[in-house]
Amino acid sequence: MSIGVRVALGINQADPTFRRRSRLRLAAFISPIAFLLLWTWVTKIELFSPQLLVSPFVVLQAFHELLDSGELWEHLSISLSRLGIGFLIGASSGLLFGILMALSKRVEGFFSPVFQAVRQVPSIALIPIFILLFGIDEIFKIAIVTKAAFFTVALASYEATKGVSRNYFEVAQAYKLPTYTLYTKIVIPAILPPVLTGFRIAFSRSWTILVAAELLAADSGLGHMMQMGREVFRIDIVMVGVVLTGLIGFGIDRIFKWGEANLIPWRTA
Amino acid sequence: MSSLNAVLSFKRDKVLAVQPSSQDISAIGKALSPVTLEIKNVEKSYQLTGERLQVLTGINLDVRAGEFISIVGASGCGKSTLLRLVAGLDAGYGGDIVYQGSRITGTDLNRGIVFQEHRLFPWLTVEANILLAFSATEIPKAEQKKRVQAQIDLVGLSGFEKAYPHQISGGMSQRVAIARALVLRPQLLLLDEPFAALDALTRLKLQQELQRLWEHEGLTTILVTHDVEEAVFLGDRVVVMESHPGRIKRILPVDLPRPRVRSTLEFQRIKDDVLTDFS
Repeated sequence: MSIGVRVALGINQADPTFRRRSRLRLAAFISPIAFLLLWTWVTKIELFSPQLLVSPFVVLQAFHELLDSGELWEHLSISLSRLGIGFLIGASSGLLFGILMALSKRVEGFFSPVFQAVRQVPSIALIPIFILLFGIDEIFKIAIVTKAAFFTVALASYEATKGVSRNYFEVAQAYKLPTYTLYTKIVIPAILPPVLTGFRIAFSRSWTILVAAELLAADSGLGHMMQMGREVFRIDIVMVGVVLTGLIGFGIDRIFKWGEANLIPWRTA
Repeated sequence: MSSLNAVLSFKRDKVLAVQPSSQDISAIGKALSPVTLEIKNVEKSYQLTGERLQVLTGINLDVRAGEFISIVGASGCGKSTLLRLVAGLDAGYGGDIVYQGSRITGTDLNRGIVFQEHRLFPWLTVEANILLAFSATEIPKAEQKKRVQAQIDLVGLSGFEKAYPHQISGGMSQRVAIARALVLRPQLLLLDEPFAALDALTRLKLQQELQRLWEHEGLTTILVTHDVEEAVFLGDRVVVMESHPGRIKRILPVDLPRPRVRSTLEFQRIKDDVLTDFS
């Protein structure tokens, strides 16, 4: 590889920061491997009864089994579509509501007390009420995801908009920026970094609460799959659900993180 | 009629204050140009936890078209507040600030302002930051682009059009801020301690550039600063303010040819004269 190409690709193995970074990247694999080894070892010595804790290999086998039967994909796609719809509704309405509440004293005065009180109620505590209100069908699950996403994103965008420097608004005033320009060119970019972080947290909360809701009341979805596994004492199926819940949450969190890093080219750090 | 009176009174002040110098043709030319900004009996106070804090009192100042006014004063004398009132960022004041015949009640694209911090938007490139100034205008896009490029060239930042503010130095950012204020071709330029946050060398360089831009554009300029040397170097007149409450102590004409040389005796004499107000 010519020097030019290497520079263009940002590869410079003589560069100590590159070496440190690649070593750090390797380090990220150590803890999962150690965890898997520990898990295997604990099942090997049968610290817990084999009916209660199965080895990673058995889980992998169950995973293949579920994958081949098409059952896994069915549950997964239903869960993800509930998550997608609920998150989309909750996050977008939360974003708008947060900005509005921060910019309008009237909206803030009217909604703030209820907003601040309701957001303290854990979503899981609302599951029984939501079941009563919406039944145990799709609407209830989407509603609970929407609730979790809405309050988290609304709070993030409210705080972020409140935090936009007065200096920026003064510049807008000096140049008589039209309202539309004020929002698209100044407010939205200014709140983007904290709002993206809010999206990440909201997503993780939505995902957690969805799986919990499916465990409690559902006839499909990843949570339901785990619940069924538990009922027929197939601990390996339960474990497939646990591992997938973690991996999917982790994966989507990574996508949000990537978005944070790449949608914000002006961030110096 | 009132403007004629103002011209006469200004001339009388001048005669009393200093001996007219033979090189001082430009200043006499300015003395004849019309008053463009009248500040009359301006008062400003803030309500602070039940107490009324008088920030400005009895401010009177006439500024002629094309004139460079420097306002100096210790921090807290209200000089920045006065500038913000002239900019129209704060319409709650007593008395009158009349610009081109009408009382100032809000901001206007005719009056450009540069703040102490550059206040560029970190998510916009140099070019986009300057382009933003056109948002409220009807000027065609192509014309906007052309003027932005010309302004970037004028402040010596060619090649940095696509750079983000964090990629350029503080001095360069402040130049972009000046370009943003000038691109709309305002007739009045307001500068609120624009070089205060810069290092000494950059400051000297930008003072010279500002002088060049001012001569090039021929615009009326009000500079607020706490740097006496800067005030004398750039101003046709230096307005000295004092605090509690903020008011004008005196107004000194600076009848020195431009570009001014800081090391000359005459420059030092005027600077020392201003400094006596602060001792």
